[in-house]
Amino acid sequence: MIAFIGRSAVQKIVTLFFVSIVSFLIIHLAPGEPSQVDPMNPKFTPEMVERFREAFHLDEPLYVQYLYFYRDLLSGKTISWKDSRPVLVKIWERFLNSLPLFIVGTLLTWTISFPVGIQSAIKRGGIYDRTATFFSYFLISIPSFFFAYVMIIFVVTRFQVPVIGMQTFGLGDTSVLNTLMDRIWHLLIPSVLSAVAGIAVLSRYVRSQMLEVTGQDYVRTARAKGLPPDQVYYKHALRNALLPFVTMFGLILPGLIGGSVIIESIFSWPGMGRMAYEAILARDYPVILTVNFISALLVLIGTFVSDILYLVVDPRIRL
Amino acid sequence: MTTRRLLILIPLAISLVLVQSYFWVPTYEQQAKGNPGRLEEYINASSGDASILNPILSADSASSEIEAKVFEGLLDRDEDLRLRGRLAKSWRIYEIAYFYLNERAGAGDAGTTVERLRRLKEQTSQLPAGVVRTLDNIDNISVVPARHFFVDKPIRGDDGAMVGPVRIEVSAPPRIKLEMKAVDQDLFTHLEKILGATYFDGFDALQHIKPGAAVGNGALLSLAREILPATAHHPVIEFHLRPDVKFHDGHVLDAEDVRFTYEAIVNPDNLSPRVADYEPVKDVEVVDPLTVRITYKRLYSPALVSWAMGILPEHLLNAGALEKEALKAGKDPAAFTLRQSGFNRSPVGCGPFVFREWKSDQHIILDRFDDYWEGPPNYKRYVFRVIPDPLTQEMEFYAGTIDAYAVQPHQVERLKNNPRFQSFSGASFGYTYIGYNMRREPFDDVRVRKALGMAIDTQEIIKYVLYDQGEPITGPFVKQTDYYNHAIAPLPYDPEAALALLAEAGWHRNGQGWLEKDGKRLQFTLITNNGNELRKAILAIAQDAWKQIGIDVSTDLLEWSVFIQERVNKQDFDALVLGWSMGIDPDLFQIWHSSQTHPHQLNFVGFRNPEADDLIIKIRQEYNHDRQVKDCHRLHEIIFREQPYTFLYVGKWTAVLDKRIVIKTVDEKGTPSYEKIKPTKTGSYTYYFNKWIKLAQAPDLTP
Repeated sequence: MIAFIGRSAVQKIVTLFFVSIVSFLIIHLAPGEPSQVDPMNPKFTPEMVERFREAFHLDEPLYVQYLYFYRDLLSGKTISWKDSRPVLVKIWERFLNSLPLFIVGTLLTWTISFPVGIQSAIKRGGIYDRTATFFSYFLISIPSFFFAYVMIIFVVTRFQVPVIGMQTFGLGDTSVLNTLMDRIWHLLIPSVLSAVAGIAVLSRYVRSQMLEVTGQDYVRTARAKGLPPDQVYYKHALRNALLPFVTMFGLILPGLIGGSVIIESIFSWPGMGRMAYEAILARDYPVILTVNFISALLVLIGTFVSDILYLVVDPRIRL
Repeated sequence: MTTRRLLILIPLAISLVLVQSYFWVPTYEQQAKGNPGRLEEYINASSGDASILNPILSADSASSEIEAKVFEGLLDRDEDLRLRGRLAKSWRIYEIAYFYLNERAGAGDAGTTVERLRRLKEQTSQLPAGVVRTLDNIDNISVVPARHFFVDKPIRGDDGAMVGPVRIEVSAPPRIKLEMKAVDQDLFTHLEKILGATYFDGFDALQHIKPGAAVGNGALLSLAREILPATAHHPVIEFHLRPDVKFHDGHVLDAEDVRFTYEAIVNPDNLSPRVADYEPVKDVEVVDPLTVRITYKRLYSPALVSWAMGILPEHLLNAGALEKEALKAGKDPAAFTLRQSGFNRSPVGCGPFVFREWKSDQHIILDRFDDYWEGPPNYKRYVFRVIPDPLTQEMEFYAGTIDAYAVQPHQVERLKNNPRFQSFSGASFGYTYIGYNMRREPFDDVRVRKALGMAIDTQEIIKYVLYDQGEPITGPFVKQTDYYNHAIAPLPYDPEAALALLAEAGWHRNGQGWLEKDGKRLQFTLITNNGNELRKAILAIAQDAWKQIGIDVSTDLLEWSVFIQERVNKQDFDALVLGWSMGIDPDLFQIWHSSQTHPHQLNFVGFRNPEADDLIIKIRQEYNHDRQVKDCHRLHEIIFREQPYTFLYVGKWTAVLDKRIVIKTVDEKGTPSYEKIKPTKTGSYTYYFNKWIKLAQAPDLTP
């Protein structure tokens, strides 16, 4: 076990190193300059462009820039070119904003997918199963921005309540409970939107897993010895069907920092996705690279956690 | 079965908690109408957040919008786009000019030259009118005695590399100092008529300098001219500040703040994007607490408007204050500059609104400043909300939770006729054009460029691409200004005449209908950047229009940075669709002067015209508005005649506001009167923003 952890950690660090090089190269080799260095602005003289490039170390060879960047990142001194604020502070603020959206979205996805998927598997081929299949594919294929607009227009015109932003703008001084509920309401629609596609996909997985497991011998045996169907499905079959999802659970970790550009933009949600997207447009390299690095780190930690979880839940796997 | 129940109960419970929150949220009705304070708030939506709230550091429009409310400059532009004083009560522009005595010209020594000029000033009968005017303009003539000094200068060697500083011995001849009442760019050309035609050109600076090391001849000559310029204009602006103007923290503004702002901009550590505007400044001098004198290195009239820059509070940002802040934050004071200061996220200025709160990507809140020197604004609060999505903005606008946003052309159609709203529109300060690479055939022929322009129906573009939200333009100046020459009619849409012009240039239709000259087909590629739907549409329209008269055009869309770096900067294109957004100032040097045609410069079409060059220089050196206008009209004519661009259109902006927002003025007796918001002549509807207020009911206004 210890050996596995050690080996895995070394592997992941090597991977992280290569990821850092590749992401650095991709971002720097992509054409374009930081928005501060704007050669198309008649007010910018070549000397100024030069001075900006120098201040951002853009005039140095790439490997020197790489060293500068990761030195600053690891010592926590990276600052955004756009507003000279520390990148880690900026990311932390945005992370806290995206976190509720992520938590509620994930909760909805994971709690709703299971009952839906299991029911589909039990009533395979029936009207419920076919309806669920239809809606799953419908929700997977509908573009999320379009769905978001439909939802906003529906809610705003039908219920006359605001849905934009993290809270009702200008709510003023109200009770804590009121503020909390207002925040929850604003969470509802964006998190439902980010959950629907997840529910559609995940419930399909649950269904196919359940179907696979229910075809196994031990399920047939359980049924043959006269156990009630609920016990067969929910005790014997479900437990074994759950195994692959344990690994998936580790993989949702990177979603923490990803955020959704589309949902966040449409709902004016000041989250991570929007910050990263705007950083890309402005070629704010320190922000892009830091987000990139952290998400790579989270992916690696996520896979690591899945591996460990798998070890814990599946007694057949021993190292 | 517990598992089963749990599987159903948990999602149900979560959904219930989420959905019940609906009952706690105020409806739009309650927000927009039930709250009386809402009428005193102005909420503006923007698609992007501000980046840094410091007028000397920011370069984006969202930041400048907030800065315009929090900070105030020495001057700004009034309804007619003329300059008017803000923090400066008044100003005076005059000039100090110098020339070195040219002993070889045979006009005598310093004393006699001065005597002669003084005498001529008294009795001017036999001199030409221009010279008389120049002499009348001279206030005082004096002599700066000969000087002997040393300077250290880095020198460019013969191989082009910089050589370390070389000590140069300079024995400067006496210099004549002329104090002028007003700036006169013709001063020296007129003086030549008195002193001799080669008096200034013949001044041999080389004989007055002695380098300490061997320097190439060419380098030495330019060095000599740099150290001892034969003539020099030094325009001076003297600003008289308004007394008792307060910053938001109560500190009184004085001339030191103006000087500090200037120094902060030119301080290389601050990396101010505005430094180029202040490069011509030689010196900023505080004469007394309410007078500041700015001396320039040379004639450069656009410099004046750079003083519209918001003035920073010196007492909060000087070296001592920054050091204190750095130590408090635990940072190295040596590396701590204005850029790192917390001031940029909670600015203090002397504008009409006080900064209150900034939540990144959510909102910025400003409160009215009750001590504002011009009287406080009517609105109590100004809110800047960040809503990136245009449809969301429209929904919020309908609901009344924002008062203004940048309306898209297709949304204007929906909102224009709604009786709840009032709308304004005007031409924007920018134009879209097709530029031709004049270094390449066939664009080196003005007839071809003109014919290409005549083959495109601009009206059609405006109608179908812009939904009529645009108007034609014929030249490079902002249409609302005096500089724009309205006597010039746009190129007519006339494909027949275009073909005739092309035939004149030697291009004839061949059997297949293509235009041909010496067996070569008229073919080229028209490019633009990806991501701009309007330009993409123009690309297709132009291609089609030109195909119809037999030109074989292919098109290409490129990603913006590839487009700029690989094609525009390297001048590797035939023709392109692009736009310029411009300032009000008529300085066209960077885009149209022939010295700016090298790679990476902005005259990428390669426009060269000696007369235009002269005019461009004259315009940027002229301080007199009427003369400037005259030169601009002529320059406009030349550019139109040469057609280096096919000028297509200026876009129109449109703004929609709630009808209940009006202008409120209170007379001496305290009775308020209301007026409908009217855009100024130049189309700025927010000009009287400080007098706006929202009423509970749309007032019945007499028009």
